[in-house]
Amino acid sequence: MALKVNNTNTSLYQGIVNTYRNAKSKALDLLPNAEYSSEKVIDGIKKTGEKISSAEQRLILGASALMSQPFIDSHNRNVDEETRKVSVARTIAKIIAGTTTGYLIRKGCIKGIKALSQIPAEGVSDIKTIFTPKGIKDNTTDSFVQYRNAMGTVVALVVMMFTNFIIDAPLTKFLTNHLVKKQDDKNNIKENKDEIAK
Amino acid sequence: MKSPSNLFSDFKTVMYRNYGENPGKMLVHTGVLGWILSSLAQVSAVVFNDKISPQQKSFLIPQEAADAAINILSFYVITSSFKNLASKLVSTGKLTTKPIKEGLLKIGIRPADIGKFNFNIDNIPHVKKDYKPFKNGVDVIASTIGSIISCNIVTPVLRNQYASKKQKEAIAYMNVNKQQQQLKAPKGITMADYQKLSAIKYSGGSLKI
Repeated sequence: MALKVNNTNTSLYQGIVNTYRNAKSKALDLLPNAEYSSEKVIDGIKKTGEKISSAEQRLILGASALMSQPFIDSHNRNVDEETRKVSVARTIAKIIAGTTTGYLIRKGCIKGIKALSQIPAEGVSDIKTIFTPKGIKDNTTDSFVQYRNAMGTVVALVVMMFTNFIIDAPLTKFLTNHLVKKQDDKNNIKENKDEIAK
Repeated sequence: MKSPSNLFSDFKTVMYRNYGENPGKMLVHTGVLGWILSSLAQVSAVVFNDKISPQQKSFLIPQEAADAAINILSFYVITSSFKNLASKLVSTGKLTTKPIKEGLLKIGIRPADIGKFNFNIDNIPHVKKDYKPFKNGVDVIASTIGSIISCNIVTPVLRNQYASKKQKEAIAYMNVNKQQQQLKAPKGITMADYQKLSAIKYSGGSLKI
């Protein structure tokens, strides 16, 4: 007969859990308390929670990626110069293509879900309530707005499984080639100028 | 067994209950799902590409899978850690607002308890009106900062190190293959004789297998 052993009851397990908990508690105590009193700051934080959906987050990620990733790739000393050049161009192209399609598709799907998650009522067709969860009577609550964002994002992810191949990949390839060519042209002009100067 | 329409109805309810009140969690989960789907696309692009030989696929598929694992793990670990830390700071009252603190004091909470590890504002219903939107806002900001750090700093650095290591391995692998091809016996001579001849040549040392 097989014996069932509950590992969570062992003293070793309890000891580890308590130690971990105490460490977290002590770490939290080390942090100073922070209290916001400015209405402007508090409203800003609340609005961020309400307004930032995955689409806006994708845009923020894309913009910050343009500032950090090409820099990281251009300072990668583990690869030769030619690889580095193509890698920077590809990174920039990937960010532009990914952010543009990612933002537009997410935004479009969230809007689409908004249109298809109306509250059932007379004159509202069934298709317009297809994404409305059961028992929802108010579509103005923050929870419902967040639900629409979440559902829109999930639908967008499914759509992007296809657009990754149809739009992102060819657009990235086109932009990479364009950027590499631009860089080569720039280098050629510089070399010619140097030769003339000599 | 449930019908597709019932399953869809359950799915909507699960989405509403899980993410309706927790947009920070939604951003982390959909972010991970996004990475998984995009990694699947990358791997399947290699799997279904007829122009890539089975030999090359045996090298490229694990490489893409490892790249995907780095992306997904670093995104999940970093972003969810930021989000969980922010949630803990707000739920314990370590990070709070004046109206929330005043609300807590009004209902008899001792000031010394606020900010302690075991204190949890989520269990106090009276401050929910001010507290929930603030907590959601902090969660979203923390998730966004976490995802910027993971996607734009940690992942590119880790991926570059991994990719350069793999590039070196690939070059070494191609060189071995090239050498093996060069060792094919020329017409009129056996492989054993060719290896013997190549070994006694001045430059033949590198041809030894």
